[in-house]
Amino acid sequence: MPTAPHTAPRAGRRNRWGEHGLAWAFLLPSLVVFVLFIGYPLGRTIYLSGHANDLFGAPSRYVGMKHYTDLLTSADFRRTLVTTALFTLFTVVPGVLGALVLVLLLENRIRGVRLLRSAFALPFAFSVASASVVFAVFFNPASGVLNGLLSHVGLGPIGWLTDSRYALVSVAVTTVWMNLGYNVLVLSAGIGSIPGEIVEAARIDGASGLRLARSITVPMLGPNLFFLTVVSTVHALQSFGQIHILTKGGPDGSTRTLVYSVYEKAFAYGSSDFGTASAQAVVLLVVVLACTAVQFGVLERKVHYA
Amino acid sequence: MNKSARALAALLVAGLSLTACSSSGDSGSGSGGSNDAAAPGAQALDQASGVTGVEFWHSMTGKNAEVLTGLVNQFNAAHQGKIEIKPQFQGKYDELVTKYKAAVQQKGTPALVQVYDIGTRFMIDSKQTVPAQAFADKDAFSLDDLDANIRNYYSVGGKLQSMPFNSSMPLLYLNTDAFKEAGLDPAQAPKDLDELGELAKKLTKKDADGKTVRYGFGAAIYGWFVEQLLAESGTMYCDNDNGRSNKAGKVVFDSAQGARIVQWWADLVKGGYAANTGRTTDDAQAAFKAGTVAMHLESTGVLRGYTEAAKFGVGTAAFPKVTAADQGGPVIGGASLWISGPGHSDAEKRAAWEFEKFLTAPEQQAAWHTGTGYFPVNKKSLDDPKDKEWVAKYPQFQTAIDQLKATKPTPATAGCLLGVMPQARKGVETAIEQTIAGSKPAQQALADAAKELQPAIESYNSSVG
Repeated sequence: MPTAPHTAPRAGRRNRWGEHGLAWAFLLPSLVVFVLFIGYPLGRTIYLSGHANDLFGAPSRYVGMKHYTDLLTSADFRRTLVTTALFTLFTVVPGVLGALVLVLLLENRIRGVRLLRSAFALPFAFSVASASVVFAVFFNPASGVLNGLLSHVGLGPIGWLTDSRYALVSVAVTTVWMNLGYNVLVLSAGIGSIPGEIVEAARIDGASGLRLARSITVPMLGPNLFFLTVVSTVHALQSFGQIHILTKGGPDGSTRTLVYSVYEKAFAYGSSDFGTASAQAVVLLVVVLACTAVQFGVLERKVHYA
Repeated sequence: MNKSARALAALLVAGLSLTACSSSGDSGSGSGGSNDAAAPGAQALDQASGVTGVEFWHSMTGKNAEVLTGLVNQFNAAHQGKIEIKPQFQGKYDELVTKYKAAVQQKGTPALVQVYDIGTRFMIDSKQTVPAQAFADKDAFSLDDLDANIRNYYSVGGKLQSMPFNSSMPLLYLNTDAFKEAGLDPAQAPKDLDELGELAKKLTKKDADGKTVRYGFGAAIYGWFVEQLLAESGTMYCDNDNGRSNKAGKVVFDSAQGARIVQWWADLVKGGYAANTGRTTDDAQAAFKAGTVAMHLESTGVLRGYTEAAKFGVGTAAFPKVTAADQGGPVIGGASLWISGPGHSDAEKRAAWEFEKFLTAPEQQAAWHTGTGYFPVNKKSLDDPKDKEWVAKYPQFQTAIDQLKATKPTPATAGCLLGVMPQARKGVETAIEQTIAGSKPAQQALADAAKELQPAIESYNSSVG
């Protein structure tokens, strides 16, 4: 032990090369994957967004920023952006708040709470496709459960997926249900990791119920809530499966989000307009980055990391 | 660290959204040399050594795929050691065309490909195929057995471009029990839109609470029906005689006739006389099969499924005209088979042609017709004893036969030949939705759809020169 201070610097210098080399060696696989599957497609997308396409979708000639300026002046694209924003709002806010309410309720010592907790986490196990198909059955205009229930109270029928006033909300409800399981799981884990002595102390001070939730539980869940908000936002901006299965962007484009628009331009209806689709994909990337940056810049300041 | 790691994670997830658009390859379109478009003679197969494999892309599923596989096996068995057709399901018609485009870029097209009717202009412009006419001329093979209307659809400049295979037509389907219940005679089917609208009102049934238990009319919001109604009224869908006399430069579906059709449809929905099940044809079919819709538009291809599933009498009638005075008829839809030129050996092309001839022979078309409900493309198939037996068993199909016989081939009934036809169809569907939602009157919605489509048409036409 006493000899250690003498040998350390020399060994350190010799090791630094080795350590750096080792670090790079460890990083290399993920770096290769990153460049191959993220870097190259990103570069390729930006390249494609500046080119017109031939009949088969291959880039044919350079058009500069034309696709971007076309998007900026397109009323259709503005509508797509608004739809995307609404869809994000309709899925993130109810998804996170709903899970929070459920988790707080589950804190009560009621019989079978463990069973309930598992039950609420269950949607996590559903694939997007199967959940969407189940909801499509609920929403079916002729034989769906929802219109069946409505008819008992003398209402409806409502075209959940076929009426442009309801379609976006219907798809959002489906998405909220799908996300709920994961959100409940994350928040349950968060509550479980709140130190018992803090809750104990609050209870000794006479706090319980709402007061305990407002002053202790929710603030202590800050990091989890923040994480969920960021992840749900990114998820919402990239939702595709449920839109594709439930509405295909319709009716009248009322559920056409940015991702769906990218798909339509590139692959649907024999369009092969990879230039415009790529430009939209770049816009999507910018939107996702901007949302994430704002959330980190504004929301995270208010998060208390224990 | 934690923070930047999460930011990185967010970036990664965001990046994934971009990968979907990057699947197109570098290479441009393979240009078809003059030799590629020539049809080889029968000696190409005789000179070939070993088994000539033919990759065959198709979009058939379920029962249709079963019957197709049976026909392929029959052909392969008859040409053992010489030709092997290798069928590959490539998704729905739209998806197949998307994959075909990628295959052209990668210079790996299948030797034989099934493409839907509205992909015809694109397939010609792709310059990747050998016209069926070239083979027929080489062999002095008569195409006269093909139904005139079907042949008309796939012919451009008087030359048959591809071999029709699975053809279908729209019919008006009736729930005859609903007719009888309402005191109506199902034999007196509506002949035009006004009659159809009047009957829809009579056939709509409400329960004691005022809830609609059966709609008079219901069809999927499917642009194909509007194309059919326009053809019935003898109206063009796109300019230059539906793109038949010259390449179409614009769509003209925003005509008075077009507006009349779309407005009629929307008014029935808004009045509560027609069910709106959206664009999904499956949902519209389910509504008819469940008996919640009394009159319904669908293809002949679903007839057999309906008669098997429905717990009520299924009747068929001729697809409606727009007005009683209309002289047109339906456009024959479905898909045809294209033989690839560039990148394929003469033996492959020849083998694909042999298979096409086999598939469209009277016997095979009769088997196809009776097995699937598609209309036989070969006129002689209807004289086949097995086919006659089938039509006797399903007399509803006689409607389709009569309907096609009564249709004179004209540019209107040949259907619009347009490179961006799938997008045009989608535009009309959006216009119907807008009119139903009341956000625009039909005329305006169609005019907007046409306007929105114009850049796509121009960009398509400029890219094919």
